[in-house]
Amino acid sequence: MTDTSRNARLSGRIAALALLAFALVYGLFGARIEYAFASDPIGPRGFPVALALVLALLALWYLARPGEAEEWPGRAGLGAALAFLGTSVACLLVFDHAGFVPSMAVLMAVIARLFGAGWITAILGGIGQALLWWLLFGPLLGGNLPKGLLGF
Amino acid sequence: MSFDFLWQGFGVALLPQNLLIGLIGCFLGTMIGALPAIGPINGIALLLPIAYTAGLPPESTLILLAGVYYGAEYGGRISSILLNVPGDAGAVMTALDGYPMARRGEATKALAISGISSFIGGILAVVGMTFLAVPLSWLAIKFGPAEYFVLMVFAFATLGSMVGHEPAKTLIGCVLGLMLTTIGLDATSGAYRFTFEQAELHDGIEFIILVIGLFSISEVLLMLEHQLKGTLRPLAVSGAYPSWADIRFIWWPSVRATVIGFVIGVLPGTGASVASAVSYTTEKRLNDKEGTFGTGDMRGLAAPEAANNAAATGAFVPMLTLGVPGSGTTAVMLGALMLYNIQPGPQLFVEQPKLVGGLIASMYVGNLLLLVMNLPLVQLFARVLLMPNWILIPGITALSILGVYSAYASVMSVLIMFGIGVAGYLLRKLGFDMAPIILGFVLGRVMEVNLRNALALSGGDPGILFASPLAIILWIMAGAIVILPWWLRRRARPTAVPAA
Amino acid sequence: MIRSRISATLSSAMLSLAAAALAAGTAAAQPAKTECLAGAKPGGGFDLTCRLAGAALHATKLIKDPMAVSYMEGGVGAVAYNHVVGTRPGDSGLVVAASSGSALLIAQGKFGKHDENAVRWVGALGADFGVIAVAPDSPIKTLKDLVAAYGKDPGAFPIGGGGAVGSQDWMKMALLAKEAKADPKKMRYAALEGGGAVTTALQGGHIKIAAGDASEMIALHEQGKLRILAVMSERRLPGRFKDIPTTFEQGYTIDWPIWRGLYVGPKVSDADYNWWVDTLKKLKDSPEFIKEREARGLFAFDSIGADFEKRVKTDVARFKQLAKEAGL
Repeated sequence: MTDTSRNARLSGRIAALALLAFALVYGLFGARIEYAFASDPIGPRGFPVALALVLALLALWYLARPGEAEEWPGRAGLGAALAFLGTSVACLLVFDHAGFVPSMAVLMAVIARLFGAGWITAILGGIGQALLWWLLFGPLLGGNLPKGLLGF
Repeated sequence: MSFDFLWQGFGVALLPQNLLIGLIGCFLGTMIGALPAIGPINGIALLLPIAYTAGLPPESTLILLAGVYYGAEYGGRISSILLNVPGDAGAVMTALDGYPMARRGEATKALAISGISSFIGGILAVVGMTFLAVPLSWLAIKFGPAEYFVLMVFAFATLGSMVGHEPAKTLIGCVLGLMLTTIGLDATSGAYRFTFEQAELHDGIEFIILVIGLFSISEVLLMLEHQLKGTLRPLAVSGAYPSWADIRFIWWPSVRATVIGFVIGVLPGTGASVASAVSYTTEKRLNDKEGTFGTGDMRGLAAPEAANNAAATGAFVPMLTLGVPGSGTTAVMLGALMLYNIQPGPQLFVEQPKLVGGLIASMYVGNLLLLVMNLPLVQLFARVLLMPNWILIPGITALSILGVYSAYASVMSVLIMFGIGVAGYLLRKLGFDMAPIILGFVLGRVMEVNLRNALALSGGDPGILFASPLAIILWIMAGAIVILPWWLRRRARPTAVPAA
Repeated sequence: MIRSRISATLSSAMLSLAAAALAAGTAAAQPAKTECLAGAKPGGGFDLTCRLAGAALHATKLIKDPMAVSYMEGGVGAVAYNHVVGTRPGDSGLVVAASSGSALLIAQGKFGKHDENAVRWVGALGADFGVIAVAPDSPIKTLKDLVAAYGKDPGAFPIGGGGAVGSQDWMKMALLAKEAKADPKKMRYAALEGGGAVTTALQGGHIKIAAGDASEMIALHEQGKLRILAVMSERRLPGRFKDIPTTFEQGYTIDWPIWRGLYVGPKVSDADYNWWVDTLKKLKDSPEFIKEREARGLFAFDSIGADFEKRVKTDVARFKQLAKEAGL
């Protein structure tokens, strides 16, 4: 028990420091927003700078009392999350070139696999879903989805 | 004012052809709303030229478009409740209590409650509109930048209810939401803030990108974790409908939310997202004694649903009486009126009784149709959850991607959504609530823009914020919402002491 | 990007009837598929421009199949501009809606890295005109009164417009302030959310002077809810505007047309560009087009092809000059 709450405190503290750093960067950028002039006394920099200050103070509060946090996933969990996010980003990067159906089929198959489908079911399910969504959002609803390799 | 227009209106709305057109509109709207990618604006923009080209008379066109509009309000919550993927701005608060209910196996009940409270909100707001449209247009005119700012102060005061046992986290979430609103073109000075020379960021982070990322992508990541731990159990779906006791339970929260939603909807500067957020926090402030809001409390589901439909109806008031659209969707409908050469204004009720009456009467009929249509459909929709995870979760991901891609046609926006999703996952693991972020985001822009506009108009004198009676009333309301629950608790205590 | 495909399928039946009539004529250089891109949400000015072009081209049978309308929101057309230049520069069937507001943003460098020479400007479809309005009981009765009031103290009264500092509405007021040799930066100017918010704020007394567009103010002027001081145009506008004096009549040589037009990508061939130019030229005097244009509250604005290219470029230069003078 003490171990988990120590872990929770640690991740809370790290998060608080990250928020503090973010407040700093955001505030610095906010203070240097370029503008010709504003017709109001606050101007475009006022809110960002004020918010940065408030966030910095709250982050200090959070640092002092980190409270509860959930256990982080182990190595396997991290791997699965990275597989999900990595495939998503990769499929999106080739989305416009490869086309909707091929890139979505790959993504859907990988997610299905991650959620316990066998390889064959995952691949068939992925292709099936990609076609289904394409049919619905393409021809039926008239959405403009990227055509790509297959030409539809 | 006489109510001739209403009787004439029922005559128009109950014509078989218009009844059929209304039914088609409601059905299309429900379907359009159920898909998160396509909101009522797009649906209406699609149908308007067809109706015009087909030579429909103006009142039939309006009935069709209005049917799509509130049909989408009913349909929009389906993905919110079942999948945690909010379909439009007004459906975000619905997910807070609706999704936990569905996870608990009460998907049917949650969808039915949403339909019933939507009906309460919709029908009461139409009654309000029938009798108060013209007087209420006065309110829309009296609201200037200063009054909008104080209204936002009131909204933030209701937010006090969101502060849980870790206030630092709630407040940090709220500030993060506010910070997100500062991205993009500054509406007052024209400066670009935090855009880093990316044209995609000029309009800021779109609400729908934020909520889909924050809710559904982070949810997929959480479910993935449970899958590996073996704690992701298949869902049960009970077919039980809400009981009469349940409906009594949500009646007053729905009525209160209707009043809030309708008034906020009438104001052209605020919309359904503000209405549902404020009604949710108000209800939580007043009624959340056991801390059940956010864990699947029916009142937390009913309030934003009623408010959201009431706001959608309220948005018609400034459109019809002033020619000022109260929402993006009514802006498109205003375009429809202009296409038919109809000039909105208070005299519209007298000059075009068939049109205005037909529209209002069709809202009574439409809401009833939607309730009747929705209750059996609910069983069907709830069954979606019975699909195995390896079908359901890729589907959630596909809908999230399509929801953003169809609206913004840019892969960049989808990538931003995934980035927000990862941030949302980290925050949720750290024990942050998503609701304060959403509230900060919804209220932040309206608050900043109106404060700065008010000060620009007064030449820098903050006295303008207290200058009008309306502003003072709103200040008092803001004070009351802070003090009232505290005072009620104090009054309750002495009676509890002797018992102990 | 949602296309109005439903309308396409519905009207294709009607169109097959018209197809016979179309067999001869312009078919040679006509693109197989036409699409109009609106750089904003449905319902705005760009959408209106696309719908006007689509409806009129359809009604006059100048194109075979109905034109699809697609939407790409972002940066008031900036995202669409970059998209066309970067991704679809040679698509001969794609026209994109633009307005004088686009020229203003280009002049201010707010359209990304591309300038006005990055695309080929096809032609204007019509224009709206800037107006200045006051409350009906305002002591300011003419433009002269307003300029005099500016001369005394430009910060004496609250003004509202539908855009930020530097936007078209702000520029309209700044031009008048300049007439009085007053500093536009001293104006008490609020940037409200669009024309509807401006007229509401004027009726509510939150602002005393409003800058806006003719079409969105005229109905309220007729109802006596506000009074238009002047239409910012060289010539008097017809119809409902025939009794409202222009800026020129009141002695100020400032005009503010808000034109709405179309451009195509930079790599569209001369033949295809000329087809669009010729088509718009045929379109502009057809009764079908005039009806559709008037239904959308736009006035005639004659500028097509090379003339329009010149118009856009002079506008951008003029806006650059204005921005410099106003101290932006």
